[in-house]
Amino acid sequence: MFVAAVAMIDSRAGAMVDTTGTQPGGIGAGFYPFWSAFVVFVCAAVVAYKSRRGPQGAPAFEGRQGVVAVLKLVIPMIVAVVAIRWLGFYIVSGLYMGLFARWIGRYRWLWVLVLSVGMPAAIYGAFELGFRVSLPKSVLYELGVLPF
Amino acid sequence: MEFFNVFGDLAGGFATALQPFNVFMLFVGVLLGLIVGVLPGLGGTSAVAILLPITVIIARSSPTSAVILLAGVYWGALFGGVVTSILFNIPGEPWSVVLLFDGFPLAKRKGKPGVALASSFFASFVGAFLATVMFTFFARALADFALSFGPPELFAVFIMSFATLVGLGAEAPVKAVMMIGFGLLLAAVGFDTITGQPRLTFGQIGILSGIGFVPVTIGLFGIGEILASAEESGIGFMERLSAKVGFSDVLETLRELRRRIWLVVSTGVIGFWFGILPGHGATAGSFLGYGLARQWARNKEDFGKGEISGIMAPQAAADAAAVGSLVPMIALGVPGSPTSAVIMAGLFIWGLTPGPLLFTEHHDFVWGLIASIYLGHLLTFVICLLAVPLLASIMRIPYAILTPFIVLISVIGAYSLNNSMLDVFITIIFGLVGYWLRKMKYPLAPLVVAIVLGDSTEKTLRQSLIGSGGNPLVLLQPPIATILMTLAVILLLIPIIRTIRSRGRARTAALEAETVGTAID
Repeated sequence: MFVAAVAMIDSRAGAMVDTTGTQPGGIGAGFYPFWSAFVVFVCAAVVAYKSRRGPQGAPAFEGRQGVVAVLKLVIPMIVAVVAIRWLGFYIVSGLYMGLFARWIGRYRWLWVLVLSVGMPAAIYGAFELGFRVSLPKSVLYELGVLPF
Repeated sequence: MEFFNVFGDLAGGFATALQPFNVFMLFVGVLLGLIVGVLPGLGGTSAVAILLPITVIIARSSPTSAVILLAGVYWGALFGGVVTSILFNIPGEPWSVVLLFDGFPLAKRKGKPGVALASSFFASFVGAFLATVMFTFFARALADFALSFGPPELFAVFIMSFATLVGLGAEAPVKAVMMIGFGLLLAAVGFDTITGQPRLTFGQIGILSGIGFVPVTIGLFGIGEILASAEESGIGFMERLSAKVGFSDVLETLRELRRRIWLVVSTGVIGFWFGILPGHGATAGSFLGYGLARQWARNKEDFGKGEISGIMAPQAAADAAAVGSLVPMIALGVPGSPTSAVIMAGLFIWGLTPGPLLFTEHHDFVWGLIASIYLGHLLTFVICLLAVPLLASIMRIPYAILTPFIVLISVIGAYSLNNSMLDVFITIIFGLVGYWLRKMKYPLAPLVVAIVLGDSTEKTLRQSLIGSGGNPLVLLQPPIATILMTLAVILLLIPIIRTIRSRGRARTAALEAETVGTAID
């Protein structure tokens, strides 16, 4: 909690620097963000003070299990989203589904294949063909090799 | 005269809502809502948020169909959330947490899962029906009243809605205020609409047009929730019970309902009025309903052991509050709950401005929505009684498939709004933020409400101040504004009074203990 409060103070301090140029107290563009930031700053200070004075709460993570479970989700998610730029949405979603099926679900390779082809195909059908929503395409699409 | 007008308008609304495409949308919405309600990883609010981009396409031909779809999801999720609470002791939705107290014990210890489920469905239906009737008759009056509001009055309404989030929230008022400030700051990012100056962009061109509340909401609720449940899933223990609702269960429930009809009706009515207060909605309503049922009951000791009143009262209040939460959204442009905040975001995206003028400018839309609330609840009720076993089987979709699917749907939802990868990154970042805030016990509802209301709050404040030449007293000049501001201050003082009182009590208890100790010595 203390960390969260400090992080908030820090980011709000940044926000204040950005807005103080426009006379706080006036009704210029910086008026409203400044006072919003001020509210956050004061509250963060109160939370930080309370968490320092009060009894030490439980640690953020109970043992390693929790952290590992969250990281198992977060890391592939970030990698996948970054990879969309080159691989496009459909290839990434196939790999992503396949990874989870094999790694977390420990499915047989046949099922992994079914999921990693079936899911993007279903999404392609629904969004690209049905709703006419164009999702990010791969480098291979731009080269004219693949339709997605 | 006014009274008969309502009937005419409602008939028109039914004519709109009963169009085949709208009935289809309602059916799809309710079904989706039931499914996400049953799934613990995905809430009604996140489902509505994820569906927003799709509704843009539907809204091009008819905004009414789009809102019917989203409202259908809300009603479906309200009913669906209880299924897992009662059968598996895992709440599918925040508002079904309270059903863990008596729903699961009735299903398991007393061996009556059918009665437990039917009780919650019947109570939901009665509560929602009552609330919809009240909605039909009072929403217009509220809207007419709201039309006389100028910028200072509207600003007071916004402040009051923020104050209720703080004052009536369960705990951590300081954190709630902080989340409101954070939300207002996020809403301020990008070009200032009055002076055209870029604000809080730190030189980034991509966010000059502001941070959209849709990617933020999808992140906070969709991604944040699966991260939070990933951490807890090791603890989760599933016990499967029969999910069938038999005819004898329905009869028994009807008998029980008849004995408790006044409880259900009164918690429904109170839930509705509570739902109108901005920022609450079904979750707070459900706890209020449970509290009232317990307070009024003669058999207080039966609560927590499978007492049917402990299921019916919170369900009636939760559903009524959910309907009530749409009233300020439609009539004032102030959402009454996180879900209605997201639905309101939809209205903005479709080019409609929620608020009093909606009744006059988009008459068909409003009455179509009202009629669809009646139909939606009837439909949900029937589907629930028939399809519970099927719904319960959704819980068996393995984690390894469900989780990546939710992530992919969130990515699509964030991207397709503006065809922008930046929105996807914002979604992921706010997913992490939402997870961390949940973990640190920061309330998310004030944050969402502040992001959605931030721009309007700033606009009304600055319009008032510009109009008065910078004199802040203008904010208190209209009598309604004075009353609302006073109420807001009182609401903000509630947590402080609560703290002082509990400290006082603790001190008295300590003193008493000391006196007793000395006497014994």
